[in-house]
Amino acid sequence: MGRIVLKNVTKTFGETQVIPPLDLTIEDGEFAVFVGPSGCGKSTLLRMIAGLEDLTSGAIEIEGEDATEVPPAKRGLAMVFQSYALYPHMSVRKNIGFPLRMAKMEQSEIDERVETAAKSLNLMDYLDRKPADLSGGQRQRVAIGRAIVREPEAFLFDEPLSNLDAALRVGMRLEIGELHERLKTTMVYVTHDQVEAMTMANKIVVLRAGVIEQVGSPLELYHKPRNVFVAGFIGSPKMNIFSGPEAEKLDAATIGIRPEHIGVSMTDGLWKGRVGVAEHLGSDTFIHVHDTGLADMITVRITGDIAVKHGDTIYLTPQPDQIHKFDDEGLRN
Amino acid sequence: MSDRKLPRLLQTPAVLLLLVWMLIPLGMTLYFSFIRYVLNSLRRPEWTTPSFSNWRGFGNYEFVLNSKDFLFAIQNSLFIVCSILFLTVILGVLIAVLINKTFPGQGIVRVLLISPFFVMPAVNAVLWINMILDPVLGLQGIAVGGINELIDGLKDAPLVGWFFGMWPELQPISFRATQTSAYAVIIMVTWQWTPFAVLIFMTSLQSEDQQQKEAAVLDGANTWSQFRFLTLPHLARPIAIVVMIQAIFHLSLYAEIEIVSRGNGNKNLPYLIGEFANNNIGAASATGIFAVILANIVAIFLLRMIGKTLME
Ligand SMILES: Nc1ncnc2c1ncn2[C@@H]1O[C@H](COP(=O)(O)OP(=O)(O)OP(=O)(O)O)[C@@H](O)[C@H]1O
Ligand SMILES: [Mg+2]
Repeated sequence: MGRIVLKNVTKTFGETQVIPPLDLTIEDGEFAVFVGPSGCGKSTLLRMIAGLEDLTSGAIEIEGEDATEVPPAKRGLAMVFQSYALYPHMSVRKNIGFPLRMAKMEQSEIDERVETAAKSLNLMDYLDRKPADLSGGQRQRVAIGRAIVREPEAFLFDEPLSNLDAALRVGMRLEIGELHERLKTTMVYVTHDQVEAMTMANKIVVLRAGVIEQVGSPLELYHKPRNVFVAGFIGSPKMNIFSGPEAEKLDAATIGIRPEHIGVSMTDGLWKGRVGVAEHLGSDTFIHVHDTGLADMITVRITGDIAVKHGDTIYLTPQPDQIHKFDDEGLRN
Repeated sequence: MSDRKLPRLLQTPAVLLLLVWMLIPLGMTLYFSFIRYVLNSLRRPEWTTPSFSNWRGFGNYEFVLNSKDFLFAIQNSLFIVCSILFLTVILGVLIAVLINKTFPGQGIVRVLLISPFFVMPAVNAVLWINMILDPVLGLQGIAVGGINELIDGLKDAPLVGWFFGMWPELQPISFRATQTSAYAVIIMVTWQWTPFAVLIFMTSLQSEDQQQKEAAVLDGANTWSQFRFLTLPHLARPIAIVVMIQAIFHLSLYAEIEIVSRGNGNKNLPYLIGEFANNNIGAASATGIFAVILANIVAIFLLRMIGKTLME
């Protein structure tokens, strides 16, 4: 059903090529997340799937049929925008019902579907309000409601949570995850927040400057990053990545070790350093270690609390099987 | 002194000035409307100076209400104002939507479109009535003459001659006539004020949210639905502004009416005031008070109507 295939698609704005030739398949029912730094072309790619941007070349297939020339409304996709893009002059009820009204559906059927959607999104009390009188989270739910009433083949989300505060973001993340479990519809989700990517996705697509750096499940990306970029991008706090004699010892140009895979001791260990800032989160402690001779700063993550002070000497020992080795082109070896 | 008092104190002169600015003319008008006051009277010379001893009560109002032109002037005021509003808003929205798209020569087209607004009303009226609408020498006369000549020529043509032979000769319309002088005023004022509407609507269109449009496209809205459900509600407020400002301005049209037909077949309240003011200041003032009341009724009525129809 909602299988989306991109074949050799490219996009050029004027002279600049934003998306070089790119192939990607999103399977039916999958929750695919596009992540990447700002300006890497995530939104552009999503808008190309939606039909809001023309392809410069290549083809898009939706449900096995060529959709390259199909107008946006006929692609059977629903999109949720970062700015919500609600219609400000219409009530919540009319906003949600708008796609059905445009499809010339019977009024009674529209009402029924709007009620169902509103119930599932906890919007029953707000149906007669205007978008301006809603909170950010409620607006976002209206936008989602407007998408689900159409019963689309796939949902497209462009950074839907980035205008919300942290607490609400966690809540909405769960709600969208829940929605996916319930509807089993294909979802394509754009974000630059890697926590969202890791927690929601079945499949993460890491993009850099329009190029797909790696496609895989969240854990695949965590355990086996294909190159230095993905290694540094996925995981929080960031992986420690450095080159030099330590790397050469392991026959690699660059090596990486995640903060959670480094053991700490005050008396002995492989590497010696000086404690900089220690961030105590209660459950975890992040220690930033300087003067190791490896990199400017090595971040270490330990479970629980530890009594270290700024300036203390500290010894670090990496877990040898958790070291990621990269060749001089930055690729995993 | 509380922190509110000083700003209030500093605002006082401005507020007072505004009040005086508004209240003195209104007060004088009210005062004159209740007394007998004429500029020239051989029989009753005491009426030529305003004084409370000439008190007439509602006599001036009665006199105005019973004068033969009063009802006609009100009807005609409303007819002219509403026609102009209707035409300028529709033309304004259409043109604004049209030139909001990017196209080569956009800048020049926009400047040209705005330019009628900078023509003085009297000049505008003279130009239109003499050079464009004149049935003999104006563009209208020339165009009608040209079409008649063309049809005359075609009457002798083989095959289709019989068809054109059945056409009547077109008559140019005289826009100074009793029946048509109001139309002339409506045409020329519409021409002059459409740019104003276009200007305001265009600024508003540029602030329209593009993502809403994209969402509507994905929701299956065609161009008309996008216009009807997004653009038009978005324009409701600027339309209200255009209507308000124009209603106030056009209720006091004078130059155009004077130049087109000297009030022949086409009077509004200000013109009536002008006629009374040739001698009877009391009646002119009473008419002025009626004009104020009419302006308020029109403004309230129009705003309600726009609010209802466009904001859903
Ligand atoms: N209409 C356009 N005309 C020209 N260049 C554009 C246009 N839209 C996007 N771009 C360029 O394409 C590149 C990718 O933009 P895009 O919006 O897809 O980035 P993004 O990955 O979504 O970034 P962000 O995370 O900041 O939203 C950017 O360099 C941007 O400047
Ligand atoms: Mg983006």
